[in-house]
Amino acid sequence: MAPKRKPDRVDACIIGAGASGAAAAKVLTEAGVQVVVLERGPWRTRETFGGDELANVNRYNLWPDPLLNPRTVRSSADEEPRVELFCPVPQMVGGGTVHWQGWLPRFTENDFRPRTVIGDLPGATLADWPIGYTDLEPYYDKVEWAFGVSGAAGANAFESPRSRGYPCPPMPMSRYAQKFHAGCAALGYNSFPTPQAALSQPYNGRPPTVISAFAQQHGDPTGTRSSALNVFVPDAVATGRCDLRPDSYVREITVDERGRARSAVYADGDGDLIEQEADVFILACGAVETARLMLLSRSARFPNGLANGNDLVGRNVTWHEYSAAVGLFNDSIYAWAGGGYVSASSFQFYEHDDNRGFASGGHVACAGVGIPLPINWGLPDRPLWGAEAKRMDREYFNHSMAVAMVVHDMPQHDNRVDLDEKVTDAWGLPAARITVQPHPNDIAMGRWLIDRNAEILEAAGAHKVYRVYIDRITGNCSHQHGTTRMGNDPETSVVDRSCRAHEVDNLFVVDGAPFPTATGANPTLTIMANAWRVADHIAKGRPG
Amino acid sequence: MFFDPHQRATVEAAMARIIPTDDAPGAREAGTIDFLDRYLSGLDHVYAKPDGSGFEKLEGKRADAWRQRLDIIRDKYAHGIADLDRRSRDRFGSDFATLEPAQQDTVLSELDRPTTLPEAETVAGFAPVETPLQQASVEIDLDFFPLLALHTRQGFYADPIYGGNRDRVGWDVIGFPGPTSLAEVHSGRYTALPYFAEQEVGHGAQAEA
Repeated sequence: MAPKRKPDRVDACIIGAGASGAAAAKVLTEAGVQVVVLERGPWRTRETFGGDELANVNRYNLWPDPLLNPRTVRSSADEEPRVELFCPVPQMVGGGTVHWQGWLPRFTENDFRPRTVIGDLPGATLADWPIGYTDLEPYYDKVEWAFGVSGAAGANAFESPRSRGYPCPPMPMSRYAQKFHAGCAALGYNSFPTPQAALSQPYNGRPPTVISAFAQQHGDPTGTRSSALNVFVPDAVATGRCDLRPDSYVREITVDERGRARSAVYADGDGDLIEQEADVFILACGAVETARLMLLSRSARFPNGLANGNDLVGRNVTWHEYSAAVGLFNDSIYAWAGGGYVSASSFQFYEHDDNRGFASGGHVACAGVGIPLPINWGLPDRPLWGAEAKRMDREYFNHSMAVAMVVHDMPQHDNRVDLDEKVTDAWGLPAARITVQPHPNDIAMGRWLIDRNAEILEAAGAHKVYRVYIDRITGNCSHQHGTTRMGNDPETSVVDRSCRAHEVDNLFVVDGAPFPTATGANPTLTIMANAWRVADHIAKGRPG
Repeated sequence: MFFDPHQRATVEAAMARIIPTDDAPGAREAGTIDFLDRYLSGLDHVYAKPDGSGFEKLEGKRADAWRQRLDIIRDKYAHGIADLDRRSRDRFGSDFATLEPAQQDTVLSELDRPTTLPEAETVAGFAPVETPLQQASVEIDLDFFPLLALHTRQGFYADPIYGGNRDRVGWDVIGFPGPTSLAEVHSGRYTALPYFAEQEVGHGAQAEA
């Protein structure tokens, strides 16, 4: 058989078709740029999704299978790494947005200047961002209106100025959201409907989102949720300028004699190696896989990995450990309805406050417990088996809810992603090795927020409340940031304010990797807004 | 099917202690043993087709991974069942399946202690309260008894297409108004809106399609 023909060189090659890659593809192709998108996973359609808790949550139907895609974890460089499914994200067209519930709060003005607001925090590498809220505000607006985000402008008393409201009113009120609002009101806290990537009413020719129980961690068989798969990918494909190639696993970015990125070498679905050349390369693999690809791309010019002359690629990684207070109520609150995440939020504890004894804060919101469907629902003190376990299932399944938070974990130089020395994936490439140790601030913040969440549940009338504190970072949230931190100084950052690599002027990163800090809010809206901003910049700066 | 008759009787008896039958159905009535035996039988029942019309045919690397996983799990069962019988004979002079329920509980209680994993991780394998955004199952890392408890739970609460949760008894026991079939969700007919705040519904009432 003849070898496969080398594909034509294109204007731009995007690696990864998740939230950020699909956003960049839409923006670039709509601006007239010819784009190839290389996605390592399949291109699944809504016909392949369904309401199957066992397959989707427990059997890796959407999650990466750890036997094929292992990662290793250790808490310090002295420790032997263990294989663990750390911070997984679906690897397919649409990425994490395929199975998300899509909570889309914006960051606030202070999120972009944490070093200024907080000051020096020993052990942490806090840095101000080289961009500010006003740089992103127009792009928040673009993403919200492309998606048809359902929310209520002004309801969050702590939000930063917005140029206009949300395109759709909030989603219907769940019973668990109602409890959360009641608890906050009793304590004098501001609360608001969580802005969501779902349609509360018809929008842009799309029907309203179906309110199912199979949403969080499930693909969307109705195609009615807002996601990269349902919105950005069709927009990009409609231009006729987007060549999206699924099952195309990039193993290396090669460089030319001047040290510019020359090609992406990938294995296609048959396992054949293909080389794709382009003027510009845009990494959008998620912060872990982007760092891994850069570290895999070694050359004479970059012996320690692409654009890694300062040994910062993979460092300062942050994870957003998730935890919650869990409350039991006498009345039925059905916290699985809507997938358990048609929710209410508060930014009451979001901004930094010196009086709390720790730095920064976080977004808190209500949710179902666990996934929260029957197999994966649970309570902290439910026994493994027997009559008591059954009793708790029967009595509390419809009567429990969580008030949850993600820890705004502090960036640290030694928390990093690099390449494992022994473990390889099913394609023979070294696994990503995670080295992570929580900062004392992470533990303190988690404890304080969980206590506040417990008080909200008590104020809402819960007859029993559990406080589930964190004591380590397990990567349970699928949020990942920081591995190619953005900054003005090439000595202390990997990419500049345009998310262009300091050392490689035709290489850009548009996922969460450029975020210098994690912030206390769900990152994907900001990831997509930033990808849109960077793609805009690339399209405008293109010669000719 | 994977189990021989003795293994099957042993596992079924253990499952009946994990989710016992009382005034409401338990693992026995839900057919959790059928769920598990079918799962262990091979690659033909890993993923139901999302419209409920059958099961996916696994190929390539995905099939390789599942073959590997099922081999590990089958091995845990073969050794775990033998261990249950050994403990039962040592303590009560008879195989596990023939013991009285209280004696079976005694034997299982001995196993209800994690040996290879920190306790927190073992608990997270089937009661992932603190990890709602995480892939919950760590199947192949679990010891035999936590694995059996997880599979019993899955067989009680998974969609009936997988062979357990017979007549939706698991869902009825806890008042979860699940869909009548996978097709109902796949087509978009299934809605949980009646369980939102605006409308009053009775406990455990069925959602109207």
